[in-house]
Amino acid sequence: MSEKNPLPFAKTQSKAMLLWVLAVLIGLPLLLPSATLATEILIFAMAALACNLLLGYTGLLSFGQGIFFGAGAYCAALLMIHLQLGLFTALLGAAIAGGFLALLVGALAIRRTGIYFVMLTLAFSQMAYFVAYTLSDWTGGDNGLLSVPRPEIRVGETVLLSLADARAFYGFVAVLFLLIFIGARRVIASPFGSTLMAIRENETRASAIGYDTRHFKILVFVLSGAVTGIAGALYAMLLHFVPLSNIDLAMSENILIMTIVGGTGSLFGSLLGAGSIVLLGDFLSDLWPRWLMLLGVILILVVIFMRGGLWGGLASLFEKVRGTRKSAVVAKEQGL
Amino acid sequence: MLNLYLFQILNGLGLGMIYFLIAVGLTIIFGLLNFVNFAHGAFFLLGAYICYTAVSLTGSFWLALLVAPLVVAALAWVIERLLIQRIYHLPHMFQILVTLGIALIIQEASVMIWGPVGKSVAVPELLRGVLVVGDFVYPYYRLFLIVFSGLVGLGLWLLLERTRFGALVRAGSESTETVSLLGTNIFRLFSMTFALGVALAGVAGVLFAPLRGAQPFVGPEILGVAFVVVVIGGMGSFSGALVGGLLVGVVQSLMTTLWPQGASLMIYGAMAVVILVRPYGLFGRA
Repeated sequence: MSEKNPLPFAKTQSKAMLLWVLAVLIGLPLLLPSATLATEILIFAMAALACNLLLGYTGLLSFGQGIFFGAGAYCAALLMIHLQLGLFTALLGAAIAGGFLALLVGALAIRRTGIYFVMLTLAFSQMAYFVAYTLSDWTGGDNGLLSVPRPEIRVGETVLLSLADARAFYGFVAVLFLLIFIGARRVIASPFGSTLMAIRENETRASAIGYDTRHFKILVFVLSGAVTGIAGALYAMLLHFVPLSNIDLAMSENILIMTIVGGTGSLFGSLLGAGSIVLLGDFLSDLWPRWLMLLGVILILVVIFMRGGLWGGLASLFEKVRGTRKSAVVAKEQGL
Repeated sequence: MLNLYLFQILNGLGLGMIYFLIAVGLTIIFGLLNFVNFAHGAFFLLGAYICYTAVSLTGSFWLALLVAPLVVAALAWVIERLLIQRIYHLPHMFQILVTLGIALIIQEASVMIWGPVGKSVAVPELLRGVLVVGDFVYPYYRLFLIVFSGLVGLGLWLLLERTRFGALVRAGSESTETVSLLGTNIFRLFSMTFALGVALAGVAGVLFAPLRGAQPFVGPEILGVAFVVVVIGGMGSFSGALVGGLLVGVVQSLMTTLWPQGASLMIYGAMAVVILVRPYGLFGRA
């Protein structure tokens, strides 16, 4: 049936997905002990989603996501501290910073493909760390950038909503997340998105058909960098602080691991991945400071046994349940 | 002033030889196994820590230099048998992720065993002090670094070019199937090559320990440097790793005099320039 008329099927599926996301966004602060934790999940889900655009939809494994996350955090924080800019201008600045750096890194790294591309993103990630470390007058170096404000939403001089309250800030981040999620779905459903997937499946063929694949790859990199930059800026506002660890390689790895554990190729998977890793970290980091070791084990297990990640696992479970139900119905109809 | 530059260039050669050992291990593994080892920095770290333990137990750096690479190689052998052999057939992306997992496990285990604060290793007694030639002064240990890594490099070259094992490794990187059809146990060859490549990272870790000690989070930094070397010199090439390693070492060392804070930064700058000018590395072909 879905072959005959794929579009309506896809549409109902996409609506169901949006409902799921809405349910998660509303449920998170109700179920979790603190709104701050819920906010952290959404922020990392945003970063994982941006990573997923590269990894899941274009087939680009980037160890550079921490660069854009950290750059967004520093840029927004510096704009707010030194220029007293408001919430939206700071976020815009972060998006531009993330996107611009992604343009630079992308344009250089995409000159090579395969493992060289991956190695280059990792090397640039190390470079960004040393830049942040060296510019300690601006970034605070090892001590981090302190007293980052969390501005209110205002029009002109009128304050519409203060975000000082954790729940209010969660609401703001949730709305942003929803917008970015819808935007990302649009991008994937567009011809641009189909081209990205064509590159993922077979880059040589995509370029043989006449697509300038390098161009497309850089563009998706910029998009991913901008979204990651926004996530970084929100994280700075959440913590009121930008630690140096925001831009180090471990941040890139964390974002990557969340994306993979959640499942590549599904945007909802990124939400699942970020949620489970952030919760695991929150739960374990007090009990066992070396819990990252467990993350290494999980990563290996997921790659070997569950390459579709949590989302893939859930989807196949769902298919199985539906399959057995269907066969039960068929069996009934046939009078067996 | 000129002496200072000469001093830094010599220093850079020593450092560069360590980078060469790291990168050539990575490169051998990639060449034969077509396998990307993102845990290479973690094995380096392990080499440095085992050196620390061996020196504090026995007091002998020389014993550590012998034992640490062997222990690291043995561990690599076991990991290869248990895990890595299962993922050779997977795309590089999955190999990278699995070895990233291994790197995280090794790093965190090192912190559990040796604590979160770095350990320092003393320069062996024999090599303390400095060489004085006229008004030029150079530490013996740095000189030893150049000579010893050079010997290891030479031995490796002889092993790869002049022995049966080396011939098999080189043949294997051309076509593993043919080698296997000719009656060689290819899986044993794989295990040995992986252990050898990782052991080189272990040797580099031991040699590095008296310079900067064993630091728990140095793995990613070393991995980054190894990648810079490989991007500059080309993956799978012995001479590329040598020239790339020396270049990176000298650049970093010279920059320490000119702009101390930016020394680590500059090697990545150098890489960016190479990528811009020659995207396939200095020795790479398109």
